[in-house]
Amino acid sequence: MTGWTRRQIGGLAAGALVATAAPHIAHGRGRPRVVVVGGGIGGATVARYLADLETIDVTLIEPNPTHVTCFFSNLYLAGLRSLDSLTFDLRSLAERHRITFIRMRAVAIDPTARSVVLQDGARLGFDRLVVAPGIAFKLGEIGGYDEAAAEIMPHAWVAGPQSELLRRQLESMEDGGVFVIAAPANPFRCPPAPYERASLVAYYLKQFKPRSKVLILDAKDRFSGQELFQDAWSRHYPGMIEWLPVQFIGKTRAVDAATRSVVTEGETFKAAVANVIPPQKAGSIAERTGLTDATGWCPVDPLTFESTLQRGIHVVGDAIIGGDMPKSAFSANSQAKACCFAVAAALTGSPRFPPHLFNSCYTFLAPDDAFTNAITFAPKDGKIKTVKMFISKVGESAKVRRRLAHQAVGWYSAFTADVFGGVS
Amino acid sequence: MTAEPVAAIVSLARGIAAESRYFPGALLSAFLLVPGVSAAADTSQGAQIAATCASCHDPTGRGQGIPPLTTLDEQTIVKRMRAFRASESPSHVMHAVALSLGDDELAAVARYLADSAYAGRQP
Ligand SMILES: Cc1cc2nc3c(=O)[nH]c(=O)nc-3n(C[C@H](O)[C@H](O)[C@H](O)COP(=O)(O)OP(=O)(O)OC[C@H]3O[C@@H](n4cnc5c(N)ncnc54)[C@H](O)[C@@H]3O)c2cc1C
Repeated sequence: MTGWTRRQIGGLAAGALVATAAPHIAHGRGRPRVVVVGGGIGGATVARYLADLETIDVTLIEPNPTHVTCFFSNLYLAGLRSLDSLTFDLRSLAERHRITFIRMRAVAIDPTARSVVLQDGARLGFDRLVVAPGIAFKLGEIGGYDEAAAEIMPHAWVAGPQSELLRRQLESMEDGGVFVIAAPANPFRCPPAPYERASLVAYYLKQFKPRSKVLILDAKDRFSGQELFQDAWSRHYPGMIEWLPVQFIGKTRAVDAATRSVVTEGETFKAAVANVIPPQKAGSIAERTGLTDATGWCPVDPLTFESTLQRGIHVVGDAIIGGDMPKSAFSANSQAKACCFAVAAALTGSPRFPPHLFNSCYTFLAPDDAFTNAITFAPKDGKIKTVKMFISKVGESAKVRRRLAHQAVGWYSAFTADVFGGVS
Repeated sequence: MTAEPVAAIVSLARGIAAESRYFPGALLSAFLLVPGVSAAADTSQGAQIAATCASCHDPTGRGQGIPPLTTLDEQTIVKRMRAFRASESPSHVMHAVALSLGDDELAAVARYLADSAYAGRQP
């Protein structure tokens, strides 16, 4: 990732993070204290919005100094964006918004003592904790797919080195090869993204390796935005993308890294490049803290995003059971704001209003052809339910789609400014 | 560090914000004195709803592709949102947002946005 040495990390910790030197419990201090675990989309948003209220001390715990956004990483894969342009500095976020940033992994959470244990053994007390750890992979579900296999058959489902690896493989792939995408069953991070990836990989192949193909081995029989994607594939990439649903091939059950093969219940597919996206669950700290249920995800109160299993701990983002809300960056950001105002209300008595939960994703079919959805949600009977949903339609004019692709770029810069405080 | 003077100006701006319905110009110029400083957000209903707007509309108005909200007055915002509520075109995204806001909520967010606190809030 970056060239930070241990000494520099130590220097940063000593300079910026007086708080870690004297671990203590928060009770009895002047300002209430919130600790946020995870500096991705949900965590950064919640930390930034809470800190801006200037009534609460906010500490953000995240091992990475920067965040590389998964959204737009399919554009990187196709050579349309640099990875640099998708990278945001968490230290600048912390400085500008007066957040204490601890560049470490949280290794344990003690809900009773209300403290977080950091990787160096220090303990950090909190009045409220927000956990936003994103996803972990259920590696056991695909035989032979472990961390070593992921270096040969990348998932690229967390942006960064995995995205670079997949891009390198795509670039060095020979013309005429098959780019296999193994897509997981629901629920998983960003339902339209495997198909956006297929579209943009085909865009790249069409220019540079026109005899090649994209093959999607799906663990589902239907997917998000299906009509829009299939319409676009026949318009932009005729004959280049093949989608095989689970009813024809069965689920992906194993991989063979040595031959770059994906084995489903029915068949074995040999790939030139294999992008294996494994089934997912909440980030492991959530599981270790008893925040997850049998599904592997975290149940929460949809008004406050407080865990229904551990009081005083809130969870936002991909890690939660979001009801009808998809696991998207937009959802994580929307949940984070609702969570922020609920935490502030609990700690400082500020007013509470019904949360406005919203998701709107831009999905690229080609560089100048994108579609959007817009979904509003409301809490109902303890769950998050869709209120209204609108989505682009098949048959819209090229002009409309070009405008959406242009808006997507504007959305990206406004959204990342909202999450990371406008610095990249 | 210039923490003290900056904090003083920010709290001045916040003091004015309370009366900003009457002195919107004063508020704006107070914020212009402190470029790059993040002014405290409030927790009023308008502010809480406006947080949703900021997921797509750059609060500094610098954004491209998605129209800025910084130049709009309260009545224009209400008028446009009513039009978005009535029709799925030109934007199904804004149609969804507009349908999700009751009249009181729309009034609160329009006032908050137009009060320039949004315009002056540097990300
Ligand atoms: C290819 C692709 C395309 C996508 N496109 C879109 C899109 O167009 N629009 C959209 O809205 N969404 C999109 N998404 C989804 C979006 O990226 C995720 O939904 C979003 O990142 C979720 O945010 P999060 O905060 O839950 O998790 P993350 O952003 O993954 O953040 C989790 C953070 O927690 C940290 N962490 C984990 N454990 C610990 C610990 N123990 N201690 C400290 N820190 C910890 C991690 O290091 C990480 O930084 C896409 C995803 C992919 C893969």
